[in-house]
Amino acid sequence: MSRKAVYLLSIVALLALVIMPVSAQAPVTITWFVGLGTGSNSEQIEVQNQVVADFNAAHDDIELVINIAASNETARDTLSTLLAAGTPPDIVGPVGVAGSNAFADQWMDIAPLVESSGFDTSVFDQALVDLYRTESGGLSGLPFAVYPAITYYNTDLFDEAELAYPPSEFGAPYVWADGTEAPWNYDTVAELAKILTVDANGNDATSPDFDPTAVEQYGINFQWARLRLIWTNLQPSTYFTEGDTLTVPEEWVQATQWYWDRLWVDHTAPNTTAGASETFQPNAFASGNLGMSIVPLWFTCCLDNSIGNFNWNIAPVPASFDGEQHVAMDADTFRIVAASANPEAAFTVLTYLVTEAAPALGSVYGAYPALPAAQPQWVETISARYSPDIAWNVASDSLAYSNPGPVHHESNVPNYTQAYDREFALLTLIEGDSGADMDIAAEIATFESDMNAIISGQ
Amino acid sequence: MAATDQPLSAPSLNVGAAAPGRSNLAKQQRLWGWIFLSPWIIGFAAFTAIPILASFIFTFTNFSLNTGEPITFAGLDNWLRLLSDPIAHQTLGVTIKFALIAVPVGIVVPLGLAAMLNAKSLWGKRIWRPLFYLPYMVPAISGIFIWQSFLNGNTGWLNRMLRGIGIVDPPNWLQDEGFILGAFMLMGLWGVGNAMLTMLATMQGVPTELYEAADVDGAGPARKFRSITLPMISPVIFYNLVLSVIGLMQYFVVPYVITRGTGNPNNSAYFFNMFLYKTAFTNFNMGYGSTLAWFLFLIALGLTIILFSTSRRWVYYASGDS
Amino acid sequence: MAAAAQPITRQNQAVNTSPFYSKQLRKFAAAAMVTMFTLIVAMVYLLPFGNMAMIAIKSEDQITGSTEGLILPMSPETFEYDGELHEIYEVPMPDGTIRELALVDPGRSSSDFVDPANPDAGLIPWEGSWRTLSPVMFFEPHFENFGEAWRLIDFPRIFGNTLVIAIGGMIGTIMSSICVAYAFARFPIPGKNILFIVLIGTIILPSQVTLIPTYAFFSSIGWTNTMLPLIVPHFFANAYNVFLLRQFFMTLPRELDEAAMIDGAGPFRVLISVIIPQSYAAIISVGLFHFIFAWNDFFGPLLYLLGNQQQWPISIAVQQFNFQYGPQPQLIQATSLMAMVLPLLIFFLAQKIFMRGVVITGVEK
Repeated sequence: MSRKAVYLLSIVALLALVIMPVSAQAPVTITWFVGLGTGSNSEQIEVQNQVVADFNAAHDDIELVINIAASNETARDTLSTLLAAGTPPDIVGPVGVAGSNAFADQWMDIAPLVESSGFDTSVFDQALVDLYRTESGGLSGLPFAVYPAITYYNTDLFDEAELAYPPSEFGAPYVWADGTEAPWNYDTVAELAKILTVDANGNDATSPDFDPTAVEQYGINFQWARLRLIWTNLQPSTYFTEGDTLTVPEEWVQATQWYWDRLWVDHTAPNTTAGASETFQPNAFASGNLGMSIVPLWFTCCLDNSIGNFNWNIAPVPASFDGEQHVAMDADTFRIVAASANPEAAFTVLTYLVTEAAPALGSVYGAYPALPAAQPQWVETISARYSPDIAWNVASDSLAYSNPGPVHHESNVPNYTQAYDREFALLTLIEGDSGADMDIAAEIATFESDMNAIISGQ
Repeated sequence: MAATDQPLSAPSLNVGAAAPGRSNLAKQQRLWGWIFLSPWIIGFAAFTAIPILASFIFTFTNFSLNTGEPITFAGLDNWLRLLSDPIAHQTLGVTIKFALIAVPVGIVVPLGLAAMLNAKSLWGKRIWRPLFYLPYMVPAISGIFIWQSFLNGNTGWLNRMLRGIGIVDPPNWLQDEGFILGAFMLMGLWGVGNAMLTMLATMQGVPTELYEAADVDGAGPARKFRSITLPMISPVIFYNLVLSVIGLMQYFVVPYVITRGTGNPNNSAYFFNMFLYKTAFTNFNMGYGSTLAWFLFLIALGLTIILFSTSRRWVYYASGDS
Repeated sequence: MAAAAQPITRQNQAVNTSPFYSKQLRKFAAAAMVTMFTLIVAMVYLLPFGNMAMIAIKSEDQITGSTEGLILPMSPETFEYDGELHEIYEVPMPDGTIRELALVDPGRSSSDFVDPANPDAGLIPWEGSWRTLSPVMFFEPHFENFGEAWRLIDFPRIFGNTLVIAIGGMIGTIMSSICVAYAFARFPIPGKNILFIVLIGTIILPSQVTLIPTYAFFSSIGWTNTMLPLIVPHFFANAYNVFLLRQFFMTLPRELDEAAMIDGAGPFRVLISVIIPQSYAAIISVGLFHFIFAWNDFFGPLLYLLGNQQQWPISIAVQQFNFQYGPQPQLIQATSLMAMVLPLLIFFLAQKIFMRGVVITGVEK
């Protein structure tokens, strides 16, 4: 071909030659991939960079490099691309249970590394370590951050409605304005939500004049919750699979009905359109126009705009349908990718992240540290950031009620991402306008048959 | 014009006269052609051909992005699955339905805007042109964010205006099966800047003598537009037509972000490329994802070839080529 | 001939139409009408843009607080009472007057207000729903959003990065696409039509499926975490630009090429001195299109500059304000507006050049 082609090819070859040895001479490089969960807002990026710099200053043999997929929407594609192209990162995190399940076959069993390095896992609560036990007895991660679901409530809105606040202790009842006591459960929440939902004329949802098309303040939501988290909050359970039929448990059908009633009968929970309207930006609770929101603790990452605008507090989640207290808990950790070329070095970084770096990272992620030693500092930091008057004890109290692995709201099913996607489709149906006149039983039947196909891999 | 009249006949004379030199000249011309083509040929070989070929090979494999297992050969399984996959057919239907509305609008609207901005009597052209091009420069994230807020059923500006002019119950654009494609169309109107600009630039290149001659014949503005402007800018209309067909077959980002990847309500906004993307990156099935991509490729290629073959009839090239 | 045509037309019109001043008037009316029409279309067309600009100058409180949903950045008047700020409302009093009072203790059926002019008078109880009252507001734009966004994302650096990526690719694509389009438009290459379809074919295949092999390739030659994959491929032409330029070149009559060739110009000379001068409009369009594409391209830089924050362009930096659980719309929009200034300026200047380019074409024909 032309001479131009020869020149260009030699330029390409030269560039390749120049760049490749540079990376080969460096100390062992460990790449830390951020983006599957939290970790991509500007403040977090800054703290993470500092954590990396601190590590590199203390280690000559390992160079830690951080890769930030700066958008939640594309982080998964990016990681898939890196893995499939044969250029995997060594460490991925913070990543929750769902994110880990999405890449279920990609993680390294770190049990042998724990063994060989002599790392003492007893610095953590044993129950939290057990969260990461695999069926075959291996270990897929070390505990880093836990986020129990809690009830966030807007105290200003409770005051305006002359309602007493939700209880700040597990097992305590809710006290109505007339002094009668009621158990702190979802029936009580539904009643409270009616009083806390107000239209433009000041009528609440208990009033016959209430106008559901002009709601300015809603009572309750599960901000950003995926379907199985909503279900699990209302009643922990699990899909039943028998042979090749999957069944949605009766409790979850009831839970669907409960949520649907709030959306479309009482109009006390914001539907998709309301949630996206200007009144409820940047999200319903942070807008100051929502009475109660049941969200994991990580929501404390992003409530700064409440400061000076409205007051809020936290309470335990309501008792589930069975009358018992159950707490759904998100848990983040860092994982080592099975394809990592330097597992030992990666493990050194991993232990650094979950111990020494835990306080700094934990506070910027809004995480309750799994490391007991770091917990007092967390309360101090978060109190200084928001208010010491907030019932922070609820966070640690919640741990005792957390759901065991099998009924975790993100527990694994085969073809996890597809199943996750299908669950999300059902939720958008319920919350969208099309949910208003949906036939719940029929939609769940369709859902069951689709899930069957997904789980059996068809 | 007079100056160019003279040499017009000369080259044909020259070529005709030197019969032995002719094949030599043609050979030389061909060689020059290859030289000018070489940047693309090299780039194609270096950057494009291998990935394209690789993706074609994927269609015969069960390449999964998530299992550590090696890729295995799957024969025609993926292609057979495609034939009987109801979601593939449904999403293709949505894509074609949307394209059928969006392609004509995507040609007529920029053409109208270009004609408007090209109007002789318009004051302040320098100001208007950038203003109409402005939305095209808005980064996609900001644009979608704005449109989502603009089209919100409760508080969006559009519905507030519609209520203002007496429409009591305006549609909930992004939640209503019957309106969501219309909403995407509205958003798409913001992306016509490029088409408008190419048309406008070409319109300004139409020799003024042609219009003057038409004035002499007493032709009105509509007639001048139809028989002078349109044929003269037809190469650019053709360009925009081909690109909008290709672009719409791959329509993806807007519906994906707006429907949060679901294609709801009721799959009415579930486009083929979303299905493809989800197959490859949510379900990690790159083998079948590639098959879907190649299927879409074949359809779009067919449409492109059809457009090219019809172009002979309606696209006018002043150089005399077709 | 062009020169000769003009007087004839003018004469014709002078004969056929009414007196001179009335013609001027009609011209004026036509221009006014066309311009008016354009103004209306522009206003409708740019309405969402107005929405964007307004968000960019609102504070977070104005977006989320009690004044949300207002078009302009308005803030409620407040009054400090007992160490807390309270919003002021227009309150219709039982005696029929309307007083501006601060809402201290909101309640469902009755609320307590205080008079900012006379706080010592104590609380003023009021019967009714405070939600039906209109707040007293004042106009308060927050131009400091631009400064804040600038500071938070180190704007000068990312601006420079974006510029390098955009201009590098733009130069490459202009040079290479002109050559390739010239080849397709003017030379008798065997199998030209098939080659052209292959070229177009490269943009028909959805890029999602070529992503991984492409990434693997760039990674194998060590280009990941550099800007090279975002710039270098553009030096090898792409279908969009070649197609546009080819279309344009084909509208150029061959007479001028041939005249130049008679004068002894080779194909390269013809390209430089005949084809290019006639095609400024198209070439500048191609440059502009690429510039804007590169300016806003998001996924390419995200993937290839994953481990190299120092080289991130604007499109990635904006994402830091788009964090799912705590988006900051005012900073997203402020950054986007700042990012648009340069492309807009380039457009504004470029239009002068390509209008001149067109004039040259017109004269020489």
